[in-house]
This record gives sequence, C-alpha cells and structure tokens, in this order.
Amino acid sequence: MTRILLSDKLDNCVARWRKAGLTVIGPVKKETFSSYAVVEKAAEFDLGLVLPDRSIKGLFFPQTEPMLEYTIKKQAIDTKDFAPPSDKRIIFGARPCDASGLAIDDPLFGWDYKDEYWFQRRNETVIVSIACTRADDFCMCTSLKLAPDSTKGSDVLLRPLQNNKGWLVQELTDRGREAFSQIADLLQEGSEPAAPTVVVAEKFNLDACVAWLQNPANFDSSFWKEISMRCIGCASCTFLCPTCHCFDFQDEGDTYSGIRRKNWDSCSFALFTMHTSGHNPRATQSARWRQRIMHKFNYFPGKFSVNSCSGCGRCSRQCPVDMGITETLQAISTLKP
Amino acid sequence: MTIQEQYKTRVRELLSSGTVKMVIGYKAGTTADRRRPLFIRTPEEADQLLLDSACIANLSGYLIAEGLLSDEKRVGIFLKPDGIRTINILAAEAQLNIEQIIVLGFDITGQEVTALQGETAGDFSALIESIKEGAPEALKNPLIDQLEQLNPKERFAYWQAEFSRCIKCYACRQACPMCYCRRCIVDCNQPQWVNTSSHTLGNFEWNIVRAFHLSGRCVGCGNCDRACPVNIPLRLINARMAQEVLGSFDHLAGMSDTQEPVLASFKKDDSETFIL
Ligand code: SF4
Ligand code: SF4
Ligand code: SF4
Ligand code: SF4
Repeated sequence: MTRILLSDKLDNCVARWRKAGLTVIGPVKKETFSSYAVVEKAAEFDLGLVLPDRSIKGLFFPQTEPMLEYTIKKQAIDTKDFAPPSDKRIIFGARPCDASGLAIDDPLFGWDYKDEYWFQRRNETVIVSIACTRADDFCMCTSLKLAPDSTKGSDVLLRPLQNNKGWLVQELTDRGREAFSQIADLLQEGSEPAAPTVVVAEKFNLDACVAWLQNPANFDSSFWKEISMRCIGCASCTFLCPTCHCFDFQDEGDTYSGIRRKNWDSCSFALFTMHTSGHNPRATQSARWRQRIMHKFNYFPGKFSVNSCSGCGRCSRQCPVDMGITETLQAISTLKP
Repeated sequence: MTIQEQYKTRVRELLSSGTVKMVIGYKAGTTADRRRPLFIRTPEEADQLLLDSACIANLSGYLIAEGLLSDEKRVGIFLKPDGIRTINILAAEAQLNIEQIIVLGFDITGQEVTALQGETAGDFSALIESIKEGAPEALKNPLIDQLEQLNPKERFAYWQAEFSRCIKCYACRQACPMCYCRRCIVDCNQPQWVNTSSHTLGNFEWNIVRAFHLSGRCVGCGNCDRACPVNIPLRLINARMAQEVLGSFDHLAGMSDTQEPVLASFKKDDSETFIL
C-alpha cells in the first residue's frame, strides 16, 4: 500500500497550498509557448507537456535581478541592498530533468561565495516532480546517467498511475513531507500500479566523451570547427538550459544614481570574453562552442564531480540550426580518445 | 530527374570544375521536418544535399562569415527569392561582392519545390522586381489588421505582453543575415546605449531598436521569427514596417544590388527639414 494523489483532488490541493501561503507554480501552455508559471487553479496546469519550453532555472535565477541601488551625493554615497525576496512556493509537475538541473547548480552557487538569492529561493521552494511517461526525439536524460524518474533535486516524486487517475506519492525530503502533510487528508491509500516510465534510449557513451574531452591534445582538434560551423551564436541553448548559469553585472542609471543588476549572460556571445583592449581569447564561434562543451563535461565535473547537463534536450530542441549537445557528444563518442 | 538530383549534379560540377570553393545548402536534421545548413567543399559531400519544401531557412548570413569571401573565390549558395533579395542588400550595403556568389535558386509553393533559372543574382532581376508588384498583397496579415483596429493603448498592451517573454538572447539578431554589425549597438558599453537587462523597458528597447534597424532592409525571410525561443511574433513587426516603408517611400528591400538604402541615404533636396 502506498499513498495516492488523485487528479480530481488536485484542485483542492492547490487551494489548500495557496491558503497556507504558498505560491503555486506549474507547467502552463499559453498559445504558442509553455513555461512554469503561477496558477490559481489546477485546471491551468498542462501536465501533458513533455516539458515546458522554458526551463525551471528562471524561477531561481531570474534573467535580470536587482542587487543594489546607489545614489552619489556631494559628500556621501548611499547604497541600498535588494534582499532576495521572500516567497514560499511549491512547483507542481516539474520534470525530473529540470529538478536535477537545480541540484547540479547547487554546488556552483554555494562554492566560494554562497549566493543568497539562489539559496533563499531553493530553501523556500518545494519541488514536486512527475516521472515521465512520454518523451520526444530530443530527451536524453539516460545519456547523462539520469532517468525519467530521477529523484535528484526533487522534494516529492509522483509516478503517474496506470489508470491515469492520479499519482503514487514518494516523499523525498522534509520540505516535501511538510507540504504534503498539509494535504494529507486529500491523499488516499491504494495499491494501483504505476504506469511504466518512458524508455529513453541512450544517445551516446558519456564516459567515452569525457575521456576524449579530458585529453589536452583534443583541445585544438579540428573537430571543434567542423561541428560548430553552422552555429550562429544565438545563445538560445544557454538561456534555455536549466544548468547554464553565467551572469553579468550591469549598472543601470547614470553617474549619480542607478541600480546594479545581475543579468543572464552566455558563452555563445563574442562579447562574453572580449577584453577592454579589443583582444578576444575566444575569438571564434568554434572556440565558444568548445567552451560550452568543455565546461559542461570536463571543467564542471572536475570541480564539482557532476556534469553540468541534465539531458533535458532543450539546447537541441530549440537550436535554429539544429545543433546541440546531443549531436556533438554523439560525434565525440565515435572519436578515438 | 528530381530537382534535388539536378542540383546535386550541378553542385558537383561547380566544385569539380573549381568554379566555386564551397556550396552552402541543406541536409537532413534531427527529425523528419528539420533541415541543417550544409557546407559542401568536395563533390562527394554533395551526396548529403537535400532540397525540399522544408528548406526554408535563409542561409545568406553565412556568406558574410569573417574571411569566407576575402580570398575573392566564388561560393555557391541555395537561395529562395528572399535570399536573393538578401544578397542584393548585402551587396548594396557593401558587405559582399555579388560577383563572387553563384546562386542555386529555388522556390517553394506548398509542398512543391521549383528550380529558378539563373546563376548570378542579376539573372533573377525580372523575378525579383515582380515581387514588388505583389508586395502590398503579400505583406497582408489578418493579425496585423486586427492589431491596427486596436487603440494605441491596447496595442501597447499587446506588445508589452509579447515582449514580457523576451529573454534577450538576441537569437533574432544572430539569425538575421542583415544584422551583421561587428558590434551591435546593444553590445556597445562605452557608454552603454541600451540596457542589457531583460526587464520590460530593456525588452522594449531591444525590440524597437531591432525593428528600426531592419525597416526597409528586412526581406521577411522569417529566420528571426523561427529562431526566437519564446515565440514572439516578430514577423508581424517586420511585415508592418515593410508595409510602412512601401507605402511611404515606394521601397521594397533587395530589388537590386545597387538599390539605395531607404533609411540610410541622404539627398540634399530632401523635403524634410531633419534627418533621424
Ligand atoms: S542554439 Fe544553436 S546556433 Fe544558437 S548558440 Fe546554441 S548551438 Fe549555436
Ligand atoms: S546542455 Fe542541453 S540537454 Fe543539457 S541540460 Fe542544458 S539544455 Fe538540457
Ligand atoms: S528581420 Fe527577420 S525576417 Fe527580416 S531579414 Fe532579418 S531574419 Fe529575415
Ligand atoms: S529571439 Fe526572442 S527572446 Fe531572444 S532577444 Fe529576440 S525577441 Fe527576445
């Protein structure tokens, strides 16, 4: 016997959580575009999406965030910090790859400096993931040694029932247990079997790729130029990626007053590495693409023992010239280390 | 012989005779409906070539990749009429020498692909000029008409909602063959002319800058619209601006390689007392 959440109780759950002061968020499709968005009713969720177009990242690391405000006066400089906003949230229906992406980035944001903006949101957000029973041609969690029912990064994992009437509940953390204690009376005991998770074929041999990337001789391989010749440097892959985390600081305003903001940035941009002198150490798009791959599968794991990719496939799904991590790693895994 | 096979033969000839050093075309993509840009440098590589109704991307941006044309060798490229107009503009704006471009012209109507006869951009001039006659009709879009019915406040609200999704990835810029500036105005930071932040104001600033810089230059190829990862209907802005330029200046972009840029040329006897 396990606990079950029936779909027809979901609206009550949403109401209950909202009453308890939680902002309820979930996958929502609006006309041509889907994302994780705030809802008031369960009917607004689109739980049938393979995954939302936009990843979960922006809810923890927004595309633009004010850090401080400054005013320069004759004799003094006033500054005001923007504290990370407090908002208790529950994200219902996250995909396991998106939840994993957050866990992958935790060590990065907590490494030499603890990013309070990230961690406050992480600590205040309950993530309820739903195991995948559908995938598309771009999904590749299994190639990253994850799975359609990975628990990584989630506080609760739900498994869809075979009869499609609800989900089996697997609570994973105290945060998850607390959120589900608020709806305990809406759950029921049951022995319904879970639907099988989708089979996602492995697309490349990750270990072979990593071995090739770790060989310093391959840094200057002509492979990089060949594979990325069609890349137009549009940054969609990095901005949609749940694990890409680069940012830039910008002062907006004038000499006397303004706001300092933290904005998304991307290694796909030439400007990302441009020196004041005009010299650019990553002068070509191929050098930038190499950086993206090396960072995700060589440097990041070298530092944090985990690859900076959860296999969501967005980079390939959205690339205007049909490139992406998948094609590159598939090609690398056929090369001699 | 299918058009695809005819063109494969032509590409092999162009390469083996040394007429061109490279041909830019299309090949199969990850899924059945996707096509990838293909750079063909040997006759054998032409085997991968694919030409069908899914080959809609405007490839001409690759022609101005740094260094590609600087050896003065010729390059072949698959272009639809919008692509031919694009290289006319690039030539008129001194971004490429049109003599170096061998056009493998084609057009798509529904599912059908037809070959266009000609070799250099000038060979297609009759066809290209005929596009202007049909332009008022071709630029029509029911959604644009709907938006025109709204009052300015409502229209502003519509675009505000659309732009609220913008993440300032600049995919629209990167995908556009006409956005070739070495340093885009939004990347100039001494001083920072345009906010880099992707908030309401910043998103408006960017999208308005883009709309203006493409007015009278955009050929409506749709590369930007398809590249936008958050599906902002950029095609509506492009078409509306093209209507405006056509109506006000009787100008449709890309009619020839000597066409004067409409918003970037200056006449001493201009009736206006100011320039923008
Ligand atoms: S989405 Fe594609 S074209 Fe754009 S930067 Fe990434 S790989 Fe390059
Ligand atoms: S690199 Fe691509 S597949 Fe991996 S997490 Fe990022 S967007 Fe998803
Ligand atoms: S603005 Fe868009 S539609 Fe117009 S030429 Fe550029 S990419 Fe094509
Ligand atoms: S492609 Fe779309 S999201 Fe990206 S900058 Fe352009 S309008 Fe904004």
